[in-house]
Amino acid sequence: MRKQSRFGSRLLIGLVFLFLYAPILLLIVFSFNAGDSSAVWRGFSLHWYAQLFQNRIIMESVYMTLLVSLLATVISTAAGTFAAVGLYSLSRRKREALMTVNNIPMMNADIVTGVSLCLFFVAFFQGWGVFAKWFNGIQGAVALPTRLTLGLGTLLLAHIAFDIPYVILNVAPKLRQMDKNLLDAAQDLGCTWMQAFWKVALPEIKPGIVSGALIAFTMSIDDFVISYFTAGSSSSTLAMTIYGMTKRRITPEINAVSTLLFLSVLTLLVITNVREARLEKRNAKDFSPAPAKPRPAAVEKAAQWMGSPTGRWAQRGLAALCVAVFAIVVSGLANATTSRPVVNVCSLGEYIDTDLINQFEEETGIRVNYQTAESNEAIYSLLKSGGADYDVVVTSDYMIAQFIEEDMVEPLDYGNIPNFERIDERFRNLPYDPENQFTVPYTWGTLGIIYNTNVVSEEITSWSALYDDKYAGNVLLINNSRDALGEALLYLGYSVNTTDEAEIRQAFDLIASANRRGVFQGKASDEVFQKMEGGNAAIATYYAGDYLSMLDNQADGVELAYVIPEEGSNWFVDAMCVLKDAPHKDAAEQWINFIASTEANLANMDYIGYASPNREALEKYPAYYEELYAEELDMELYEIMAAPAEVLERCESYLVLPAETRALYNELWVQLGT
Amino acid sequence: MSKKLISLADCCMAFDGELVLDHINLYINDSEFLTLLGPSGCGKTTTLRIIGGFLTPTSGEVMFDGVRINDIPPYLRQVNTVFQRYALFPHLNVFENVAFGLRIPKTEGEGRSRKKVKLPEEEIHQRVLEMLEVVSLKGFEHRRVTELSGGQQQRVAIARALVNRPKVLLLDEPLGALDLRLRKDMQNELKRIQQQLGITFIYVTHDQEEALAMSDTIVIMDQGRIQQIGSPEDVYNEPKNAFVADFIGESNILDGIMHEDYVVEFFNRKFKCLDKGFAPMEPVDVVIRPEDVDIVPKDKGQLKGIVTGVTFKGVHYDTIVDFKGFKWLIQTTDYHPEGETIGIILNPDDIHIMHKSQYSGMFGDYSSYSEEYEELEDALQEGGDEE
Amino acid sequence: MPSRRAEMKNKRSLFAVPYVVWMALFVVIPILIMVWYAFTTAESGGTLDNFAQMGTYASVFLRSFRLAAVATLVCLLIGYPVSYWMAREGAGFQRVAMALIMLPMWMNFLLRTYSWMSILENNGLLNQLFRNIGLISLVNRLTGSELQYFPMIGTSGAVVLGMVYNYLPFMILPVYSVIVKLDHSLLEAAQDLGANSARVFRKVILPLSLPGVLSGVTMVFVPSVSTFAISRLLGGGTQMMLGDLIEQQFLGGAYNPHLGAAISLVMMVIVVVCMVVMNHFGEGEEQAVML
Repeated sequence: MRKQSRFGSRLLIGLVFLFLYAPILLLIVFSFNAGDSSAVWRGFSLHWYAQLFQNRIIMESVYMTLLVSLLATVISTAAGTFAAVGLYSLSRRKREALMTVNNIPMMNADIVTGVSLCLFFVAFFQGWGVFAKWFNGIQGAVALPTRLTLGLGTLLLAHIAFDIPYVILNVAPKLRQMDKNLLDAAQDLGCTWMQAFWKVALPEIKPGIVSGALIAFTMSIDDFVISYFTAGSSSSTLAMTIYGMTKRRITPEINAVSTLLFLSVLTLLVITNVREARLEKRNAKDFSPAPAKPRPAAVEKAAQWMGSPTGRWAQRGLAALCVAVFAIVVSGLANATTSRPVVNVCSLGEYIDTDLINQFEEETGIRVNYQTAESNEAIYSLLKSGGADYDVVVTSDYMIAQFIEEDMVEPLDYGNIPNFERIDERFRNLPYDPENQFTVPYTWGTLGIIYNTNVVSEEITSWSALYDDKYAGNVLLINNSRDALGEALLYLGYSVNTTDEAEIRQAFDLIASANRRGVFQGKASDEVFQKMEGGNAAIATYYAGDYLSMLDNQADGVELAYVIPEEGSNWFVDAMCVLKDAPHKDAAEQWINFIASTEANLANMDYIGYASPNREALEKYPAYYEELYAEELDMELYEIMAAPAEVLERCESYLVLPAETRALYNELWVQLGT
Repeated sequence: MSKKLISLADCCMAFDGELVLDHINLYINDSEFLTLLGPSGCGKTTTLRIIGGFLTPTSGEVMFDGVRINDIPPYLRQVNTVFQRYALFPHLNVFENVAFGLRIPKTEGEGRSRKKVKLPEEEIHQRVLEMLEVVSLKGFEHRRVTELSGGQQQRVAIARALVNRPKVLLLDEPLGALDLRLRKDMQNELKRIQQQLGITFIYVTHDQEEALAMSDTIVIMDQGRIQQIGSPEDVYNEPKNAFVADFIGESNILDGIMHEDYVVEFFNRKFKCLDKGFAPMEPVDVVIRPEDVDIVPKDKGQLKGIVTGVTFKGVHYDTIVDFKGFKWLIQTTDYHPEGETIGIILNPDDIHIMHKSQYSGMFGDYSSYSEEYEELEDALQEGGDEE
Repeated sequence: MPSRRAEMKNKRSLFAVPYVVWMALFVVIPILIMVWYAFTTAESGGTLDNFAQMGTYASVFLRSFRLAAVATLVCLLIGYPVSYWMAREGAGFQRVAMALIMLPMWMNFLLRTYSWMSILENNGLLNQLFRNIGLISLVNRLTGSELQYFPMIGTSGAVVLGMVYNYLPFMILPVYSVIVKLDHSLLEAAQDLGANSARVFRKVILPLSLPGVLSGVTMVFVPSVSTFAISRLLGGGTQMMLGDLIEQQFLGGAYNPHLGAAISLVMMVIVVVCMVVMNHFGEGEEQAVML
């Protein structure tokens, strides 16, 4: 009877573990997949592991994650222990008040911590900017940097800030349990206070310090939200990289890196557990007195559990960790001392042939820090919230117009950009930059409907398909307000640039009601790649170039088509600009010039599928394609990429909207999904 | 035996403005066993900690061997402490606990020639083993201290302190956590060790029996003041005030009037006594020890009373007797049942006269006998958590 | 002249000074700045405009709290028995089990969530499995529907699943650590006094493990109610939660940090009130001070 019940409970525990580990096993299995799908097995291969070590973005973010976690662990452990000793010698009332404040970061939702720290850093940077300008003004000896941005420093500070409370919560009970006379006894026997602390107190509170460090490390490495708000643009942790990638295609390299991470932690765990078991057997006779019952304050309990089961074995892990920190920090410093000039680029999506980056770096010796953002609006938010130290930004016409309007961009020195001459007349002096002082066009294209012809049997010709109950649960709504509302406006027969609130509200109602009826499976930006290619959604709206890139990655049973609906659509130019006060303006202009070259444009056209504004590149592309692939370019597809004049005539480009209309857009957009 | 080793001159100690020690004057002779005795909160532990160097007196001087040591930190004093609840280092075994002090490098020499000296390992080894033998813990070197019994831990704590060959050993209620039997054994043990090593012990306790049994000199303290200093016999036989009389042993304390030398009046009756030097008609406290009272048949006594309670104590009976509403404790080997009227006789040497003090009227009435016993128990358990 | 001990204690309490400064800088001031943002707008200072808009987002608040509550409840229903059973096993089993529960936390939770994406997609592993074993066609035949797949991704169920998956260890660990420390003699005493095992559980184990349950509930509920990554990846962005709403105001498509700060503030206050009430209710006079 007893045995039976044991069996039942073990079965259920087993099921829970299955639930916990099945997704992880899946990640591991598919890291060995020869294909790049995370759902279809195409044979065993170590390809992705080889790729992983080539992938600079992932490797750098792994390095950044380890660096930040380890540094934050070491610093917060030392500082937390120090602080706990200090707190311990305060009067009870003061101590309890401080402990309450100490608990705030643990009780607060991560997002609140992240957001408040982000606001704090940005406010500090603004204050600092004013101070530095004043300080540089009154003296010439020391030039303080006037522009600080979020980055490794703020990321590290944020991690330390949320780690310290956990360390304190683990060390404080040990201090409290410690016999007060121990320190006196050691001093009585000839120790100075410091000696007494090292020889007696430290060994006593060591378990607390170790579990504190362990939890700090766990929290740091598991964190995404706080990093996301405090890292800015230049320092991505692995979590942020993954988050960025989930929006497009996650490459199985991520599976490979997860597998490696998992296996190393598992190894550490097995080794220490085996050792622990062995030690325990040896010390079977020994017993240590039961620890004092902890006070059941919820927070404290929460912090204690995490250390307790791992206790002693973690000490050895910690030693290994310290060595690792040292190695990583040293290599990081070595890296930093050989730092080269840098240009920080931010672009929409994963929107470049990465070979171009390597090529540019080789040619010029300038390091390119290439970041991507989800949408034009997200770039704007990022810049506004001070989270970015970009030099070059690639964004769409209407957003650039807004940048110019808000004095966020620097006029370019076209003397440094001779390749500007190769830009086709059609793409110069466009309304967003009428005198062409600020921008160099990057690509251009159209917005259209992409659909899976194997699921959608009829031919789609109208935007109405997006709001049609027939396709409920199979439609992806484009995840930016301008395009989503633009489509609805076009469907209703209004201009995409209308400022009439009624028209805009009508368009919004169209979307909102479709959303309520469950037509949309979700909102998608670059997620469309994975969704459409894998047949996980049937209808989406996205850009012509991206459609072409999807064609190369269609899963079995997926056949995608692209259409510009009869109501017309948007045609856009994405252009490069340099931000105001960019720290690396020269490098930025070199980069822009490089990207504007015919060779770069050809490579980019082939890689990202967007049409180039470069006259020569447009002419040469069919030949370039033939040479590269030894087959003729499908001119029908080429016309999708570089839409002919008669198509463009049906399309409208976005103009910058007046502030109140933009506010309306924002307001409505946020309401969607409420 | 008469060399002054430590002296406290006019020492005061205040915590947060509250006076804990009030002008303490005290000297301690070499090789003396001195006990600081008093209820919890009396300042005895504070005095000890001042000598140990854990506290600096707010005012006054602490001299050691003729040198002012007010500002010498504990680790530089030739004094070691056995702590309340021992304060053994749980992460070290018995041997390492005892060796702890020996392993601390000592600074030798002055100025330029200062250097840190470490004892050679063989010497440490030898001294630790020697000391473990002194405290009868040979063979326990490698035990973990958490595995030891209370008495064994106590011995480790003593060995750990003594191995450093201090001139003075301070013991802060060292036997408080032991049970009665063990406590008696350890009392003898401590006395033996003290005599064997011939060093000064300063012993803090609230247990008067312990103090009487072990000490050469007892310092009785209350409310931050020294109430009396003297040999065990002195403080028992000649208590200076009601507090001392009550704290050391049991006492019946009555209000009396000293008519002239050798004549005292209480219960409206004059008694002969051996005390003199009081002002005529001075109100005094009269102490009568319970074991000194002789019980006689009621008509033969100087005073008559009714027995209101009897408790068998083994050697004697604690008999509570009501004299005109004032209850005495009388210890007698004869049994007198409750309700019996008895007479008593007081000889002149049974009566001890004290000047009136702030303690007059606070002690020596056994009207609430049983409650008082409970209070004593409480005091035992509290064990003097003072700072 | 103060006593040496007091002096040293004072000196040591100076150790706390850097930490006090640190906390002021990185805990208190950021929150104050957030509060300041919440009560201002880009145009005007000292306004309640941001809070006036809150009504529009009531549905998001409701959804967030509802989904988080469901996730917490599921975690409790799974986590409590698992903790209870684990605590009854041998020391070796317990050690391995605890290590296994901790282990996934060293992989970032986004990796784990991403893995669920590939499982739950319309064309994902589960749907492929269902298709291959004929479950989908079976359901279609039974109900007359024409499903190609079972819709899982993009539903609130998927979001709850993601929360349960990621935060279940936060429930198991505190509950387990309380139950495992329960004094066995208490249970024996209860049995001795005539309680059967169900009664022992209800009258002794359950009340004594309540602190663990409370901290578990806190640790699951707070991240659940504020998540944005999980709802974004598994909910497809149409199941907007508070986290998404806040993120949108700061780094997303609708820049308005003032509104974002106001929403954060309201969320923080509601959560704190919930926690305080719960702890008060749960622990009687010994209230765990949350804030």
